[in-house]
Amino acid sequence: MELFDTATVLTRVLTSGVVMSIEKSDRELPGLERLLTKKTGRSKAVLLNSRTGAIHAALAGQGIGHGDSVALAEPDAETSAFLAWLGVNVTSYDGPAAYDHIALDPANADRLGELAAGATAPALVVDLTGLGFGPAAAVLTDDPRLWARAERLKIFGAYDLRTMWTQEEADAELVPGVQFNYRLSPLVAACVRMALTQAARPAATSGATQS
Amino acid sequence: MITDFPNSPLPLPNPADLDDELAALGGGEIIPKAMRRTLFPVITKEDVFNLMLAQRQAPEKVVADFAEAYRAYVGAGYALPTASGTSSLHMALVGAGVQPGDEVIVPAFTFIATAQAVVAAHAVPVFVDIDPVTYCMDPAAAAAAITDRTRALMPVHVHGLPADVPALRALADRHGIALVEDASHAHSAKIGDRVAGSLGDAAGQSLMADKNFPLGGEGGIAFFAQEESYERAVTYLARHGIDYGMSWVAAAFGSSQLKRLPYYDEIRARNATLLGEALDETGLFTPPHVPDGHVHAYNMYRITLHPEAVGLEDLPVYAVKEAVHELLVAEGVPAREWQNTPIPCHLPFRNRDGFGNGYPFSLNPGAVRDHRPEDFPVTLGMLDSTLVLCRELRSPVEYERILRYADAFRKVARRPDAIRKLVEDRDYVRPYEKAARLG
Repeated sequence: MELFDTATVLTRVLTSGVVMSIEKSDRELPGLERLLTKKTGRSKAVLLNSRTGAIHAALAGQGIGHGDSVALAEPDAETSAFLAWLGVNVTSYDGPAAYDHIALDPANADRLGELAAGATAPALVVDLTGLGFGPAAAVLTDDPRLWARAERLKIFGAYDLRTMWTQEEADAELVPGVQFNYRLSPLVAACVRMALTQAARPAATSGATQS
Repeated sequence: MITDFPNSPLPLPNPADLDDELAALGGGEIIPKAMRRTLFPVITKEDVFNLMLAQRQAPEKVVADFAEAYRAYVGAGYALPTASGTSSLHMALVGAGVQPGDEVIVPAFTFIATAQAVVAAHAVPVFVDIDPVTYCMDPAAAAAAITDRTRALMPVHVHGLPADVPALRALADRHGIALVEDASHAHSAKIGDRVAGSLGDAAGQSLMADKNFPLGGEGGIAFFAQEESYERAVTYLARHGIDYGMSWVAAAFGSSQLKRLPYYDEIRARNATLLGEALDETGLFTPPHVPDGHVHAYNMYRITLHPEAVGLEDLPVYAVKEAVHELLVAEGVPAREWQNTPIPCHLPFRNRDGFGNGYPFSLNPGAVRDHRPEDFPVTLGMLDSTLVLCRELRSPVEYERILRYADAFRKVARRPDAIRKLVEDRDYVRPYEKAARLG
């Protein structure tokens, strides 16, 4: 993304005054969620502040936790270490994978839809860190239960400032055991959204070069 | 910049407003609905400019420069910037040497992240009651909870008041265990000249955008007294493949806000004094207690009710609190409970599923307790008898607003008859008998 474009996005969000992820009036996180679901064809998106947060959410969303086993296609050493830290065993490379993984950067960001189309797991982890705004990731899914559990993992039990405090609105089965703050900053979300939007933009001829 | 200004100015208080009928009973509101919004964080043109400049630097440098500037401000030995307050607390515990299955003593009154960070470290939180005056961890209760498997004490500088660090330090030293601060509410808070975050062996602190010192959305920072502790935390992240990295966008915003933190601290302290003097006059209310030598950061402002001072001693204090809460909100003061149940009674600590299948609680079944709210009588007493102002005291609340808050408390305190009538008409229950909160 050009510096000018980043500057424009950052200025727009800062001028809105809303930079907190659990602010009811935030529009940046929902905006990125909509873009990701549209591009991947999945119905639900969970935004997180890192790739490992997204892996945790993808697994916890399926009820996979310490002592459980999953199938994954050759996780790299870093991922293997993280799965071991979660207490999740990788026992087979043959069965249906627990999640698929895509890492985006400026060179392949325009291919998100195509890459997502080849994914078959219940959860799709999309690492957005390579786009250049810091650790950022998302979990895409069509499973509303997976989505709800993953959302709860990252925000201490519920969805926003209004509902995060009260158990009356909670589904007991969605209450996570361990909770992390994996929330993504709206400022980062806005920049990522701009990068993804520009990546998909058709190449345009500059007016200066038109005859 | 629209972010610099409220939609309309709040007029200075009118003394005649105090004689008006209570807003809940049809009178005028001390703060009209259209003027209730408190802007936070304040975002200036300098913040925007500094984010623009940050684009031209290496992301790692933006984050490292922020961490170093804030480390120097706090006076800690080493700093590790993280993605959230929870991850900073996790790293502080790891740096302090907490191992899987260890016990970490935490207060029963805090935000749930304190105890969840212990679980994140694969350790077991052991909950103790709080001091009845400061509402921070009670050193005597902590002493009684120490076992052979205790690895750390983790006091919380709750609402911004430093815990009794001298007593807890002595206790930790006596048992050869670590002292880890949860300084998430305590930006710029002090004991003597030492800033919270530099008082223990390690500390974690949230820097989310709703804190006194906000980053651009989400963030945290862990502090360490010794290089060995810092290295232990860094190595842990690498060994386990965990990404707790801070975004340069958040860090750039934080560097810019840090320059104004002392200014905001002064405004908050002034507002707390103004409000405290008004509360002391009412009899019904008292402001937060601040021990000599402590500097309170007032991330939140907890107000204690004394029904006996206005002839309401025959009523349950929690019912008086509920009625007062209702009357204050009607006047335009967004008083809250913040928490209503001791943390060990929140669902994640009743279920104790942890990372799944009971881990890490299964590593140390002897440390596990099935707690009832009554196990923490001081916490329950505080929840029954106090209300809190949260965001509304964060910097910089306008002078006119704090004067009007003071008037709202005065106005309500003058009307024990209305409080009594509400208690008689309503069916109030104790705080923890309502929805037990997840947060």
